[in-house]
Amino acid sequence: MMARILARYPFLPALVIALVLLALNGLYQPRSVSLIGLTGLTKTYLALMLLAIAQTYVVYAGDIDLSVGAIVSLVNVVLVVLMERWGGGGVSIFAAMAAGLLVGLACGLINGLVVAALRLQAIVATFATSIFFTGVALWVLPVAGLPAPTAFWRTYGGRFFEVPFVFYAVLLLALVLYLMARLRLTTQLLAVGDDAQSAFQSGLPVTAIRIKGYALCGLFAALAAFCITGDTASGDPLVGGKMTLFSVAAVVLGGAALSGGFGTVVGSVFGALIIGLINSLVYFVGTPSEWQNLVQGLAILIALMAGILVGRRTRR
Amino acid sequence: MSKLVLRDVSKTYGATVALSHGDLTLEAGEVHVLIGSNGSGKSTLCKIVAGSVRPDSGRVEIDGKPVAISGPQAARTLGIGIFYQELSLAARRTVEENICLSDLPMKAGLFIDRATLSDRAARYIALFDGVTGEGFAADAPVDTLRADQRQLVEIMKTLASEAPILIFDEPTSALDRAQVDRFFEILRGLKNDSRTIVFISHRMDEIFAIGDRVTIIRDGRTISSMAIADTQPPALIRLMVGEKEELASASAPAPAPDAGKTALAVSGLSGPGFANVGFDLKHGEILGFGGLHGQGQSAALRALFGANPYVSGTVSLAGHPVRIATPAEAIRQGFAYVSGDRRRDGVITGRSILENVTPIHFLRRRLALVRPGALRKAAEPAISAMKTRFAGFSHPIDSLSGGNQQKVVIARWLIDRPDILLLDDPTKGIDLSAKADLFALIRELAAHGMAIILYSSEDAELLANADRILVFNGGRPVRELTGEDRTRYNLYQAAYEAAFGAA
Repeated sequence: MMARILARYPFLPALVIALVLLALNGLYQPRSVSLIGLTGLTKTYLALMLLAIAQTYVVYAGDIDLSVGAIVSLVNVVLVVLMERWGGGGVSIFAAMAAGLLVGLACGLINGLVVAALRLQAIVATFATSIFFTGVALWVLPVAGLPAPTAFWRTYGGRFFEVPFVFYAVLLLALVLYLMARLRLTTQLLAVGDDAQSAFQSGLPVTAIRIKGYALCGLFAALAAFCITGDTASGDPLVGGKMTLFSVAAVVLGGAALSGGFGTVVGSVFGALIIGLINSLVYFVGTPSEWQNLVQGLAILIALMAGILVGRRTRR
Repeated sequence: MSKLVLRDVSKTYGATVALSHGDLTLEAGEVHVLIGSNGSGKSTLCKIVAGSVRPDSGRVEIDGKPVAISGPQAARTLGIGIFYQELSLAARRTVEENICLSDLPMKAGLFIDRATLSDRAARYIALFDGVTGEGFAADAPVDTLRADQRQLVEIMKTLASEAPILIFDEPTSALDRAQVDRFFEILRGLKNDSRTIVFISHRMDEIFAIGDRVTIIRDGRTISSMAIADTQPPALIRLMVGEKEELASASAPAPAPDAGKTALAVSGLSGPGFANVGFDLKHGEILGFGGLHGQGQSAALRALFGANPYVSGTVSLAGHPVRIATPAEAIRQGFAYVSGDRRRDGVITGRSILENVTPIHFLRRRLALVRPGALRKAAEPAISAMKTRFAGFSHPIDSLSGGNQQKVVIARWLIDRPDILLLDDPTKGIDLSAKADLFALIRELAAHGMAIILYSSEDAELLANADRILVFNGGRPVRELTGEDRTRYNLYQAAYEAAFGAA
């Protein structure tokens, strides 16, 4: 019974862990579960959620993308520089965002071609492209600190009809994810990740499917970059670097198999949320700063183990 | 005009010639049987037609027109659907998704049309209504299904291609009688729709039940084709085997050696999938486990080897009671186990032949370090006893055909001879000449005093090779056949009568 529920909703353990962490947050800092607190949390971690979603689509196919962080950095600086260059008005913002999406898509396509068409090992190849993308980002904006137009970050941090903008964004994201779960591509990615040879023999265009997975990943990384830009209100050529492995951790926390063929984007979103809640909890508990990394690391390990133990218990 | 013609098709993998000279002519509205020993090139021939293997040379014509089958997608467009022997299923996807995987129905150009997908899958699931067994559902992930159910899904997937040419590479190896009967009914229907069907099986009765024409392949060459009605099983076997040694006689097994002492005594053994299994096994005796497939024979053998748990019952070796919980213990006590499921239980894929022959030697002798030269010397007699064809000890085991891989797996037990050999359908997917080699060896091992239990899903093998047969049904031995009683009639009667009684 439990096994069947878990097979259908593999993100349940992540959801439970996230709720427990949220309760703990509330216990140590009641204001953190208020509307303002939750808005702040969403504002800060929406980027990681999107990046975890990005990572999920390549993990579906049994691949991995270690360049997502670098793509975030690149799109961030391209966005900020173009908005500045084109005057910072409404039209220029949308034009720059379109350009940012294109940059993300291009990065994804490059990854896809290198991994799926040239058949290089995904881990090493995307590590190499991450260095390359970082290089391009540093060329676009050598030093951090160029501010984004006020209209951009005011919108991201602002409210419409008393409801914070990020909540609209989350709602829209939920709708997009709902639709994407029904994409033919999603099922094809999962089939490829399950057994690439079987998928090939079933007549699926395996190489094209994997490239599309990386392209999707690039697009979502660009969206993550928009959120980072809205949150930090500036350009930084290294802003996304440390997010890469967090995105992988979020995917695993969300119940997906790194070997491919199994997982949900919703789980990855909860995985990202878990990481965010752990970070804030460590802060609210009042951990001395020199201990924060250690406690954070331990907490993530415990969350991983909890998820795996639940999965193992029910599968046997 | 013929539906599909292959002319002089060849394929080599490195130094291994998988197919040297493949000629095949398929007509519309026929079931065309491919027959040949393992490694003779049947699967390669099928995969070339299906586009998943590219031939080095040769021509393919469909409806008289030359075509190039550049990949599985191209094959589908040309109207070819294939059942892969090793299956081509996505384990975490559901039954219905797998059935439609090659051609997922779409709406709005992007999304899966779930309703159409379910409807389409349901049509093919309905074909097997009543024989799919417990736990089979359209929305069940494939990895929750039994082996026979997965095979049914692959059949449904192949049928769902609605291709004019359908290739079935050993579709029945895990199916039970009722499932095979239903499948044959469906094949006959397809034949009447003038579809072209290629059928591969290692079961002679199936070949004669469903086939119209047969093509024999030997050593990568298509030897000849004929109408099934014009031939007999012995003639086919002779063509398959060629001018090689005689097959083991299919009748008159050696008399049971009564002189031997009891090697293994089992009573009241019960566990998941089997109950109340009891027997005495003497040195030098071959005890057969028979009956319909999946009636607890395998589960009981695996329990004896410590690979599956047992709940109650006693096992004693040469009079001493033992409790075996793990395969390592069983091996130290002198058990050997050879499974028909080579991929799961036998072959260490990706490693060399030498590494595949020697693991038991390491375990039983408690070796930690050994010179490769000494290891080779120990392995050589064992592997030559099995008449295994291979290019070198250092070649990966994956370079061998299924039959030769199984020979290597058996050879691993022959370096340090065990007292009790458990054979769990060891010839599944093995060609007839390898089977003959295997059974000759088993008889020889018994003559040297080894106690052997043989479970075989092929009744002819059991009748020809077992001194005594314990017929299983519903997890219990229901009848013991000895001496003159070991006839096909009695075996079928014991297996089927009880099965219908229980149902």
